[in-house]
Amino acid sequence: MADRLLTFSIFRYNPITPEIPPRMQEYQLEETMGMSLFIALNRLREELDPSLMFDFVCRAAICGSCAMLINGRPGLACKTLTQDMPDRITVMPLPVFKLVGDLSVDTGVWFRHLNVRTEAWIHTDKVFNPEAIEERMDNPTAQAIYDAERCIECGCCIGACATANMRADFMGAAFLNRIARFMIDPRDERPMAQYFDVVGTDEGVFGCIGLMACDDLCPMEIPLQGQLAFVRRKMAQMALKCARCK
Amino acid sequence: MILQKLLAKSPKLETRLELLELATGLMLFGFLQFHMFAVSSIILGVDAFNRDSARMDEYYLSYIGIPLIILALIVHGLVALRKAPWKIQEMRVFVQHSRRLAHLDTWAWGVQILTALIILVLAATHIWSVLVTWPIEAATSAARIQGGYFSNFVLLIVAAEIHAMVGLYRILVKWSWIHRKKFTNYLVYATIGMVGLGFLTLLVFYFRSIPKGLS
Ligand code: HEM
Ligand code: FES
Repeated sequence: MADRLLTFSIFRYNPITPEIPPRMQEYQLEETMGMSLFIALNRLREELDPSLMFDFVCRAAICGSCAMLINGRPGLACKTLTQDMPDRITVMPLPVFKLVGDLSVDTGVWFRHLNVRTEAWIHTDKVFNPEAIEERMDNPTAQAIYDAERCIECGCCIGACATANMRADFMGAAFLNRIARFMIDPRDERPMAQYFDVVGTDEGVFGCIGLMACDDLCPMEIPLQGQLAFVRRKMAQMALKCARCK
Repeated sequence: MILQKLLAKSPKLETRLELLELATGLMLFGFLQFHMFAVSSIILGVDAFNRDSARMDEYYLSYIGIPLIILALIVHGLVALRKAPWKIQEMRVFVQHSRRLAHLDTWAWGVQILTALIILVLAATHIWSVLVTWPIEAATSAARIQGGYFSNFVLLIVAAEIHAMVGLYRILVKWSWIHRKKFTNYLVYATIGMVGLGFLTLLVFYFRSIPKGLS
Protein backbone atom coordinates (compact mmCIF):
# COMPACT_ATOMS: atom_id res chain seq x y z
CA MET A 1 0.00 0.00 0.00
CA ALA A 2 2.70 2.46 0.92
CA ASP A 3 4.88 4.19 -1.65
CA ARG A 4 2.00 4.78 -3.97
CA LEU A 5 2.02 7.98 -5.95
CA LEU A 6 -1.56 9.25 -6.09
CA THR A 7 -2.87 11.48 -8.85
CA PHE A 8 -5.68 13.81 -7.90
CA SER A 9 -7.77 15.36 -10.62
CA ILE A 10 -9.58 18.24 -8.98
CA PHE A 11 -12.37 20.46 -10.25
CA ARG A 12 -11.37 24.12 -10.33
CA TYR A 13 -13.70 27.05 -10.82
CA ASN A 14 -14.15 30.33 -9.06
CA PRO A 15 -17.42 32.19 -9.67
CA ILE A 16 -15.57 35.44 -8.90
CA THR A 17 -13.47 34.92 -12.02
CA PRO A 18 -16.00 33.59 -14.55
CA GLU A 19 -13.61 34.40 -17.39
CA ILE A 20 -11.56 31.35 -16.36
CA PRO A 21 -13.72 28.40 -17.43
CA PRO A 22 -14.28 25.34 -15.20
CA ARG A 23 -11.45 22.82 -15.57
CA MET A 24 -9.88 19.75 -13.99
CA GLN A 25 -6.42 20.29 -12.51
CA GLU A 26 -4.01 17.48 -11.66
CA TYR A 27 -1.81 17.14 -8.58
CA GLN A 28 0.42 14.34 -7.40
CA LEU A 29 1.07 13.27 -3.87
CA GLU A 30 2.85 10.41 -2.07
CA GLU A 31 0.40 8.28 -0.13
CA THR A 32 0.99 7.95 3.62
CA MET A 33 -0.31 5.46 6.19
CA GLY A 34 -4.02 5.89 6.97
CA MET A 35 -4.34 8.85 4.65
CA SER A 36 -7.86 10.18 4.21
CA LEU A 37 -8.98 12.47 1.43
CA PHE A 38 -9.19 15.16 4.10
CA ILE A 39 -5.48 14.80 4.83
CA ALA A 40 -4.61 14.64 1.15
CA LEU A 41 -6.49 17.84 0.29
CA ASN A 42 -4.93 19.70 3.18
CA ARG A 43 -1.47 18.64 2.09
CA LEU A 44 -2.20 19.66 -1.47
CA ARG A 45 -3.24 23.08 -0.26
CA GLU A 46 -0.28 23.47 2.07
CA GLU A 47 2.41 22.12 -0.22
CA LEU A 48 1.23 22.67 -3.78
CA ASP A 49 -1.60 25.13 -4.21
CA PRO A 50 -2.78 27.58 -1.51
CA SER A 51 -5.65 28.75 -3.75
CA LEU A 52 -7.54 25.42 -3.52
CA MET A 53 -10.96 25.84 -1.86
CA PHE A 54 -12.74 23.13 0.12
CA ASP A 55 -14.67 22.79 3.40
CA PHE A 56 -13.97 20.91 6.61
CA VAL A 57 -14.85 21.32 10.26
CA CYS A 58 -14.92 18.15 12.31
CA ARG A 59 -12.85 15.71 10.16
CA ALA A 60 -14.77 12.89 11.91
CA ALA A 61 -17.97 12.42 9.85
CA ILE A 62 -20.07 14.48 12.24
CA CYS A 63 -20.48 17.96 10.81
CA GLY A 64 -21.30 17.07 7.21
CA SER A 65 -19.32 19.89 5.62
CA CYS A 66 -16.83 17.85 3.57
CA ALA A 67 -19.25 16.09 1.19
CA MET A 68 -18.00 16.04 -2.40
CA LEU A 69 -18.03 13.86 -5.51
CA ILE A 70 -15.24 11.34 -5.06
CA ASN A 71 -14.66 9.43 -8.28
CA GLY A 72 -18.11 10.60 -9.31
CA ARG A 73 -19.97 9.55 -6.18
CA PRO A 74 -21.02 11.70 -3.25
CA GLY A 75 -19.14 10.93 -0.07
CA LEU A 76 -17.43 12.49 2.93
CA ALA A 77 -13.78 13.35 2.25
CA CYS A 78 -12.87 12.90 5.91
CA LYS A 79 -14.36 9.39 5.95
CA THR A 80 -12.76 8.29 2.68
CA LEU A 81 -9.43 6.53 3.00
CA THR A 82 -7.09 6.69 0.02
CA GLN A 83 -6.14 3.05 0.59
CA ASP A 84 -9.64 2.12 -0.61
CA MET A 85 -9.20 4.18 -3.79
CA PRO A 86 -7.39 3.59 -7.10
CA ASP A 87 -4.19 5.49 -7.96
CA ARG A 88 -6.21 8.14 -9.73
CA ILE A 89 -8.83 10.02 -7.78
CA THR A 90 -11.13 12.63 -9.29
CA VAL A 91 -12.74 15.09 -6.93
CA MET A 92 -15.59 17.43 -7.79
CA PRO A 93 -17.95 19.57 -5.70
CA LEU A 94 -21.46 18.33 -4.88
CA PRO A 95 -24.00 19.23 -7.54
CA VAL A 96 -27.37 20.91 -6.78
CA PHE A 97 -25.92 23.20 -4.09
CA LYS A 98 -24.61 26.68 -4.80
CA LEU A 99 -20.98 26.52 -5.87
CA VAL A 100 -18.77 28.70 -3.70
CA GLY A 101 -15.60 27.75 -5.55
CA ASP A 102 -13.57 24.64 -6.41
CA LEU A 103 -14.82 21.91 -4.03
CA SER A 104 -16.70 24.20 -1.71
CA VAL A 105 -20.50 24.42 -1.89
CA ASP A 106 -23.08 26.18 0.25
CA THR A 107 -25.28 23.49 1.80
CA GLY A 108 -26.25 25.81 4.65
CA VAL A 109 -28.83 27.88 2.80
CA TRP A 110 -30.43 24.76 1.34
CA PHE A 111 -30.74 23.07 4.73
CA ARG A 112 -31.93 26.22 6.41
CA HIS A 113 -34.71 26.34 3.82
CA LEU A 114 -35.45 22.67 4.59
CA ASN A 115 -35.80 23.36 8.28
CA VAL A 116 -38.10 26.29 7.62
CA ARG A 117 -40.29 24.43 5.12
CA THR A 118 -40.60 21.31 7.27
CA GLU A 119 -41.02 23.45 10.40
CA ALA A 120 -38.48 21.18 12.01
CA TRP A 121 -39.56 21.58 15.58
CA ILE A 122 -42.19 19.92 17.78
CA HIS A 123 -45.61 21.52 17.35
CA THR A 124 -47.61 21.21 20.53
CA ASP A 125 -50.09 23.15 22.63
CA LYS A 126 -48.89 21.54 25.84
CA VAL A 127 -47.10 23.95 28.11
CA PHE A 128 -43.68 22.73 29.13
CA ASN A 129 -43.28 22.15 32.82
CA PRO A 130 -39.59 21.93 33.78
CA GLU A 131 -40.52 20.50 37.19
CA ALA A 132 -42.49 17.50 35.92
CA ILE A 133 -41.00 14.10 35.19
CA GLU A 134 -40.39 13.65 31.48
CA GLU A 135 -43.03 11.66 29.63
CA ARG A 136 -41.92 8.23 28.58
CA MET A 137 -41.67 7.10 24.98
CA ASP A 138 -41.64 3.47 23.92
CA ASN A 139 -38.33 2.17 22.73
CA PRO A 140 -39.15 1.33 19.08
CA THR A 141 -40.49 4.86 18.51
CA ALA A 142 -37.46 6.42 20.12
CA GLN A 143 -35.23 4.23 17.95
CA ALA A 144 -37.10 5.18 14.78
CA ILE A 145 -36.81 8.88 15.59
CA TYR A 146 -33.16 8.47 16.38
CA ASP A 147 -32.56 6.70 13.06
CA ALA A 148 -33.89 9.71 11.16
CA GLU A 149 -32.12 12.15 13.47
CA ARG A 150 -28.72 10.75 12.57
CA CYS A 151 -28.78 12.88 9.40
CA ILE A 152 -25.74 15.19 9.46
CA GLU A 153 -27.06 17.38 6.61
CA CYS A 154 -24.06 16.68 4.39
CA GLY A 155 -26.16 16.73 1.21
CA CYS A 156 -24.84 13.47 -0.28
CA CYS A 157 -28.39 12.16 -0.86
CA ILE A 158 -29.27 15.34 -2.72
CA GLY A 159 -26.13 15.27 -4.86
CA ALA A 160 -26.77 11.61 -5.65
CA CYS A 161 -30.40 12.13 -6.70
CA ALA A 162 -31.14 12.41 -10.43
CA THR A 163 -34.42 14.25 -9.81
CA ALA A 164 -32.77 16.78 -7.50
CA ASN A 165 -30.11 17.31 -10.18
CA MET A 166 -32.70 17.87 -12.90
CA ARG A 167 -35.28 19.85 -10.91
CA ALA A 168 -34.21 22.54 -8.50
CA ASP A 169 -37.50 22.52 -6.57
CA PHE A 170 -37.42 18.81 -5.66
CA MET A 171 -37.12 18.30 -1.91
CA GLY A 172 -35.05 15.13 -1.88
CA ALA A 173 -34.32 12.45 0.71
CA ALA A 174 -32.91 14.67 3.48
CA PHE A 175 -36.11 16.72 3.41
CA LEU A 176 -38.47 13.73 3.37
CA ASN A 177 -36.46 11.98 6.06
CA ARG A 178 -36.88 15.06 8.27
CA ILE A 179 -40.63 15.06 7.64
CA ALA A 180 -40.79 11.35 8.51
CA ARG A 181 -39.03 12.08 11.79
CA PHE A 182 -41.76 14.48 12.90
CA MET A 183 -44.58 12.33 11.54
CA ILE A 184 -43.65 9.49 13.90
CA ASP A 185 -43.00 11.69 16.91
CA PRO A 186 -45.97 11.30 19.31
CA ARG A 187 -45.18 14.69 20.87
CA ASP A 188 -45.85 16.49 17.60
CA GLU A 189 -49.55 17.34 17.33
CA ARG A 190 -49.54 18.44 13.70
CA PRO A 191 -52.44 16.89 11.73
CA MET A 192 -51.41 14.70 8.79
CA ALA A 193 -53.16 17.15 6.45
CA GLN A 194 -50.50 19.72 7.26
CA TYR A 195 -47.71 17.38 6.12
CA PHE A 196 -49.76 16.45 3.09
CA ASP A 197 -49.82 20.07 2.02
CA VAL A 198 -46.02 20.28 2.14
CA VAL A 199 -44.86 16.92 0.72
CA GLY A 200 -47.86 15.30 -1.02
CA THR A 201 -46.77 16.89 -4.29
CA ASP A 202 -44.48 16.37 -7.28
CA GLU A 203 -41.92 18.62 -5.58
CA GLY A 204 -42.32 16.45 -2.52
CA VAL A 205 -42.41 12.69 -2.19
CA PHE A 206 -43.93 12.04 -5.62
CA GLY A 207 -41.00 13.66 -7.38
CA CYS A 208 -39.05 10.60 -6.20
CA ILE A 209 -38.70 8.09 -9.02
CA GLY A 210 -37.14 5.43 -6.81
CA LEU A 211 -33.54 5.39 -8.05
CA MET A 212 -32.27 4.88 -4.50
CA ALA A 213 -28.84 6.42 -5.03
CA CYS A 214 -29.61 8.30 -1.78
CA ASP A 215 -30.12 5.02 0.04
CA ASP A 216 -26.97 3.51 -1.45
CA LEU A 217 -24.70 6.49 -0.78
CA CYS A 218 -25.83 8.01 2.54
CA PRO A 219 -22.61 8.17 4.63
CA MET A 220 -24.64 7.67 7.80
CA GLU A 221 -26.42 4.68 6.27
CA ILE A 222 -29.85 5.99 7.18
CA PRO A 223 -32.46 3.56 5.75
CA LEU A 224 -33.78 6.10 3.26
CA GLN A 225 -35.75 3.65 1.12
CA GLY A 226 -37.94 2.90 4.12
CA GLN A 227 -38.18 6.54 5.16
CA LEU A 228 -39.31 7.64 1.69
CA ALA A 229 -41.81 4.78 1.42
CA PHE A 230 -43.22 5.62 4.85
CA VAL A 231 -43.96 9.21 3.77
CA ARG A 232 -45.26 8.00 0.39
CA ARG A 233 -47.78 5.62 1.97
CA LYS A 234 -49.02 8.17 4.47
CA MET A 235 -49.54 10.69 1.67
CA ALA A 236 -51.38 8.12 -0.47
CA GLN A 237 -53.72 7.42 2.46
CA MET A 238 -54.41 11.13 2.79
CA ALA A 239 -55.28 11.49 -0.90
CA LEU A 240 -57.78 8.67 -0.61
CA LYS A 241 -59.49 9.63 2.62
CA CYS A 242 -58.96 13.30 3.39
CA ALA A 243 -62.15 15.10 2.41
CA ARG A 244 -61.00 18.59 3.32
CA CYS A 245 -57.63 18.48 1.58
CA LYS A 246 -57.08 20.48 -1.56
CA MET B 1 -44.56 30.82 -1.58
CA ILE B 2 -45.71 32.60 -4.69
CA LEU B 3 -49.27 33.33 -5.75
CA GLN B 4 -49.63 31.16 -8.83
CA LYS B 5 -48.11 28.15 -7.08
CA LEU B 6 -50.21 28.66 -3.98
CA LEU B 7 -53.35 28.56 -6.10
CA ALA B 8 -52.32 25.86 -8.57
CA LYS B 9 -50.78 23.23 -6.35
CA SER B 10 -53.03 20.39 -5.33
CA PRO B 11 -51.52 17.59 -3.26
CA LYS B 12 -54.68 15.56 -3.69
CA LEU B 13 -54.56 15.69 -7.48
CA GLU B 14 -50.81 15.12 -7.66
CA THR B 15 -51.03 12.14 -5.33
CA ARG B 16 -53.91 10.65 -7.27
CA LEU B 17 -51.95 10.96 -10.50
CA GLU B 18 -49.15 9.00 -8.88
CA LEU B 19 -51.65 6.34 -7.81
CA LEU B 20 -52.96 6.27 -11.38
CA GLU B 21 -49.41 5.69 -12.61
CA LEU B 22 -49.11 2.85 -10.11
CA ALA B 23 -52.45 1.29 -11.09
CA THR B 24 -51.95 1.52 -14.87
CA GLY B 25 -48.35 0.32 -14.54
CA LEU B 26 -49.41 -2.77 -12.61
CA MET B 27 -52.33 -3.38 -14.94
CA LEU B 28 -50.14 -3.18 -18.05
CA PHE B 29 -47.56 -5.40 -16.38
CA GLY B 30 -50.21 -8.03 -15.73
CA PHE B 31 -51.57 -7.70 -19.23
CA LEU B 32 -48.16 -7.99 -20.90
CA GLN B 33 -47.35 -11.25 -19.17
CA PHE B 34 -50.84 -12.64 -19.77
CA HIS B 35 -50.56 -11.67 -23.45
CA MET B 36 -47.15 -13.32 -23.72
CA PHE B 37 -48.45 -16.61 -22.31
CA ALA B 38 -51.58 -16.42 -24.46
CA VAL B 39 -49.74 -16.04 -27.79
CA SER B 40 -47.17 -18.64 -26.76
CA SER B 41 -49.93 -21.24 -27.10
CA ILE B 42 -48.81 -21.40 -30.73
CA ILE B 43 -45.93 -23.50 -29.44
CA LEU B 44 -48.53 -26.16 -28.59
CA GLY B 45 -50.00 -25.91 -32.07
CA VAL B 46 -52.28 -23.96 -34.36
CA ASP B 47 -55.39 -25.45 -32.83
CA ALA B 48 -54.47 -24.42 -29.31
CA PHE B 49 -53.80 -20.87 -30.48
CA ASN B 50 -57.03 -20.56 -32.44
CA ARG B 51 -59.03 -22.09 -29.62
CA ASP B 52 -57.68 -19.54 -27.12
CA SER B 53 -58.38 -16.69 -29.45
CA ALA B 54 -61.91 -17.89 -30.24
CA ARG B 55 -62.68 -18.38 -26.57
CA MET B 56 -61.62 -14.85 -25.65
CA ASP B 57 -63.80 -13.65 -28.48
CA GLU B 58 -66.72 -15.76 -27.36
CA TYR B 59 -66.73 -14.45 -23.80
CA TYR B 60 -66.27 -10.87 -25.01
CA LEU B 61 -62.91 -10.73 -23.22
CA SER B 62 -61.31 -9.21 -26.31
CA TYR B 63 -64.00 -6.56 -26.71
CA ILE B 64 -63.70 -5.38 -23.12
CA GLY B 65 -60.01 -6.06 -22.68
CA ILE B 66 -58.58 -4.43 -25.77
CA PRO B 67 -60.23 -1.00 -25.38
CA LEU B 68 -59.34 -1.09 -21.69
CA ILE B 69 -55.69 -1.82 -22.43
CA ILE B 70 -55.49 0.89 -25.09
CA LEU B 71 -56.97 3.34 -22.60
CA ALA B 72 -54.54 2.19 -19.91
CA LEU B 73 -51.61 2.66 -22.31
CA ILE B 74 -52.64 6.20 -23.14
CA VAL B 75 -53.31 7.17 -19.52
CA HIS B 76 -50.11 5.48 -18.33
CA GLY B 77 -48.03 7.20 -21.01
CA LEU B 78 -49.48 10.60 -20.12
CA VAL B 79 -49.06 10.35 -16.36
CA ALA B 80 -45.68 8.57 -16.42
CA LEU B 81 -44.09 10.86 -18.98
CA ARG B 82 -44.62 13.84 -16.68
CA LYS B 83 -41.44 12.65 -14.96
CA ALA B 84 -39.39 12.39 -18.17
CA PRO B 85 -36.50 14.78 -18.86
CA TRP B 86 -38.26 16.83 -21.55
CA LYS B 87 -35.86 19.75 -21.68
CA ILE B 88 -32.55 19.29 -23.41
CA GLN B 89 -30.77 20.60 -20.31
CA GLU B 90 -32.55 18.09 -18.07
CA MET B 91 -31.61 15.32 -20.46
CA ARG B 92 -27.94 16.35 -20.47
CA VAL B 93 -27.96 16.71 -16.69
CA PHE B 94 -29.40 13.20 -16.38
CA VAL B 95 -26.86 11.60 -18.71
CA GLN B 96 -23.86 13.39 -17.19
CA HIS B 97 -25.09 12.60 -13.69
CA SER B 98 -25.57 8.90 -14.53
CA ARG B 99 -22.11 8.64 -16.08
CA ARG B 100 -20.44 10.21 -13.06
CA LEU B 101 -22.40 8.15 -10.59
CA ALA B 102 -22.08 4.78 -12.41
CA HIS B 103 -25.13 3.57 -10.48
CA LEU B 104 -27.22 0.79 -12.02
CA ASP B 105 -30.63 1.90 -10.75
CA THR B 106 -30.05 5.40 -12.07
CA TRP B 107 -29.11 4.13 -15.55
CA ALA B 108 -32.12 1.80 -15.48
CA TRP B 109 -34.45 4.81 -15.38
CA GLY B 110 -32.86 6.16 -18.56
CA VAL B 111 -33.50 2.75 -20.12
CA GLN B 112 -37.09 3.01 -18.99
CA ILE B 113 -37.60 6.34 -20.74
CA LEU B 114 -35.95 5.00 -23.90
CA THR B 115 -37.98 1.78 -23.95
CA ALA B 116 -41.16 3.80 -23.28
CA LEU B 117 -40.64 5.67 -26.54
CA ILE B 118 -39.93 2.45 -28.44
CA ILE B 119 -43.11 0.87 -27.03
CA LEU B 120 -45.12 3.98 -27.86
CA VAL B 121 -44.35 3.62 -31.57
CA LEU B 122 -44.17 -0.15 -31.94
CA ALA B 123 -47.17 -1.00 -29.75
CA ALA B 124 -49.27 1.46 -31.72
CA THR B 125 -48.40 -0.17 -35.06
CA HIS B 126 -48.80 -3.61 -33.49
CA ILE B 127 -52.29 -2.91 -32.15
CA TRP B 128 -53.29 -1.26 -35.42
CA SER B 129 -52.15 -4.16 -37.58
CA VAL B 130 -53.96 -6.66 -35.37
CA LEU B 131 -57.21 -4.72 -35.38
CA VAL B 132 -57.38 -4.27 -39.17
CA THR B 133 -56.98 -8.02 -39.72
CA TRP B 134 -59.48 -9.00 -37.01
CA PRO B 135 -60.14 -11.74 -35.81
CA ILE B 136 -56.92 -13.06 -34.32
CA GLU B 137 -55.96 -16.34 -36.00
CA ALA B 138 -52.73 -18.26 -36.23
CA ALA B 139 -52.63 -17.87 -40.00
CA THR B 140 -52.96 -14.07 -40.03
CA SER B 141 -50.43 -13.72 -37.22
CA ALA B 142 -47.96 -15.96 -39.05
CA ALA B 143 -48.50 -14.01 -42.26
CA ARG B 144 -47.80 -10.79 -40.41
CA ILE B 145 -44.61 -12.06 -38.83
CA GLN B 146 -43.32 -13.58 -42.05
CA GLY B 147 -44.37 -10.51 -43.99
CA GLY B 148 -41.85 -8.10 -42.50
CA TYR B 149 -42.94 -7.53 -38.91
CA PHE B 150 -40.37 -9.95 -37.46
CA SER B 151 -37.75 -7.36 -36.45
CA ASN B 152 -40.45 -5.06 -35.05
CA PHE B 153 -41.54 -7.84 -32.75
CA VAL B 154 -38.01 -8.64 -31.62
CA LEU B 155 -37.54 -5.04 -30.58
CA LEU B 156 -41.02 -4.72 -29.06
CA ILE B 157 -40.67 -7.88 -26.97
CA VAL B 158 -37.30 -6.79 -25.57
CA ALA B 159 -38.37 -3.20 -24.96
CA ALA B 160 -41.72 -4.08 -23.38
CA GLU B 161 -40.35 -6.77 -21.07
CA ILE B 162 -37.44 -4.64 -19.88
CA HIS B 163 -39.67 -1.61 -19.38
CA ALA B 164 -42.24 -3.65 -17.50
CA MET B 165 -39.76 -5.44 -15.24
CA VAL B 166 -37.80 -2.30 -14.41
CA GLY B 167 -41.14 -0.60 -13.82
CA LEU B 168 -42.27 -3.32 -11.45
CA TYR B 169 -38.96 -3.15 -9.62
CA ARG B 170 -39.36 0.59 -9.26
CA ILE B 171 -42.86 0.29 -7.88
CA LEU B 172 -41.78 -2.32 -5.34
CA VAL B 173 -38.85 -0.13 -4.30
CA LYS B 174 -40.79 3.12 -4.09
CA TRP B 175 -43.51 1.62 -1.93
CA SER B 176 -40.94 -0.52 -0.13
CA TRP B 177 -42.76 -3.78 -0.65
CA ILE B 178 -39.55 -5.76 -1.10
CA HIS B 179 -35.99 -6.08 0.05
CA ARG B 180 -34.24 -4.39 -2.85
CA LYS B 181 -30.99 -6.28 -3.21
CA LYS B 182 -32.54 -9.74 -2.93
CA PHE B 183 -35.33 -9.15 -5.39
CA THR B 184 -33.26 -7.81 -8.29
CA ASN B 185 -32.07 -11.29 -9.30
CA TYR B 186 -35.57 -12.73 -9.52
CA LEU B 187 -36.63 -9.93 -11.81
CA VAL B 188 -33.61 -10.46 -14.06
CA TYR B 189 -34.45 -14.18 -14.35
CA ALA B 190 -38.11 -13.36 -15.02
CA THR B 191 -37.13 -10.91 -17.75
CA ILE B 192 -34.86 -13.43 -19.44
CA GLY B 193 -37.58 -16.08 -19.16
CA MET B 194 -40.31 -13.91 -20.67
CA VAL B 195 -38.11 -12.58 -23.48
CA GLY B 196 -37.09 -16.20 -24.21
CA LEU B 197 -40.72 -17.26 -24.37
CA GLY B 198 -41.47 -14.33 -26.68
CA PHE B 199 -38.62 -15.25 -29.03
CA LEU B 200 -39.65 -18.88 -29.10
CA THR B 201 -43.21 -17.89 -29.98
CA LEU B 202 -41.91 -15.59 -32.67
CA LEU B 203 -39.74 -18.32 -34.21
CA VAL B 204 -42.61 -20.82 -34.24
CA PHE B 205 -44.71 -18.28 -36.11
CA TYR B 206 -41.87 -17.49 -38.47
CA PHE B 207 -41.35 -21.09 -39.58
CA ARG B 208 -45.03 -22.03 -39.67
CA SER B 209 -46.35 -22.70 -43.12
CA ILE B 210 -49.24 -20.46 -44.02
CA PRO B 211 -52.34 -21.77 -45.83
CA LYS B 212 -52.62 -20.46 -49.40
CA GLY B 213 -54.48 -17.25 -49.96
CA LEU B 214 -53.10 -15.50 -46.88
CA SER B 215 -49.50 -14.88 -47.74
C1 HEM C 1 -46.17 -2.82 -22.33
C2 HEM C 1 -46.60 -1.71 -21.89
C3 HEM C 1 -46.14 -1.02 -20.63
C4 HEM C 1 -45.94 -1.55 -19.39
C5 HEM C 1 -46.15 -2.99 -18.95
C6 HEM C 1 -45.48 -0.48 -18.54
C7 HEM C 1 -45.19 -0.62 -17.18
C8 HEM C 1 -44.65 0.36 -16.40
C9 HEM C 1 -44.46 0.28 -14.98
C10 HEM C 1 -44.85 -0.91 -14.12
C11 HEM C 1 -43.89 1.45 -14.57
C12 HEM C 1 -43.53 1.88 -13.14
C13 HEM C 1 -44.61 2.81 -12.69
C14 HEM C 1 -44.30 3.54 -11.41
O1 HEM C 1 -43.12 3.74 -11.10
O2 HEM C 1 -45.25 3.93 -10.71
C15 HEM C 1 -43.67 2.26 -15.73
C16 HEM C 1 -43.06 3.50 -15.73
C17 HEM C 1 -42.97 4.31 -16.83
N1 HEM C 1 -43.61 4.12 -18.03
FE1 HEM C 1 -44.49 2.39 -18.63
N2 HEM C 1 -45.39 0.68 -19.25
C18 HEM C 1 -45.78 0.39 -20.54
C19 HEM C 1 -45.87 1.28 -21.60
C20 HEM C 1 -45.42 2.59 -21.55
C21 HEM C 1 -45.57 3.56 -22.61
C22 HEM C 1 -46.24 3.31 -23.96
C23 HEM C 1 -45.01 4.73 -22.16
C24 HEM C 1 -44.88 6.08 -22.78
C25 HEM C 1 -44.98 6.40 -23.97
C26 HEM C 1 -44.50 4.49 -20.84
C27 HEM C 1 -43.82 5.40 -20.10
C28 HEM C 1 -43.33 5.19 -18.84
C29 HEM C 1 -42.44 6.10 -18.13
C30 HEM C 1 -41.90 7.41 -18.67
C31 HEM C 1 -42.22 5.54 -16.88
C32 HEM C 1 -41.34 6.10 -15.77
C33 HEM C 1 -42.15 6.94 -14.88
C34 HEM C 1 -41.53 7.21 -13.53
O3 HEM C 1 -40.32 7.05 -13.38
O4 HEM C 1 -42.26 7.58 -12.60
N3 HEM C 1 -44.79 3.19 -20.48
N4 HEM C 1 -44.17 1.58 -16.83
S1 FES D 1 -15.30 17.32 8.09
FE1 FES D 1 -17.10 17.07 9.24
S2 FES D 1 -18.05 15.46 8.17
FE2 FES D 1 -16.16 15.56 7.17
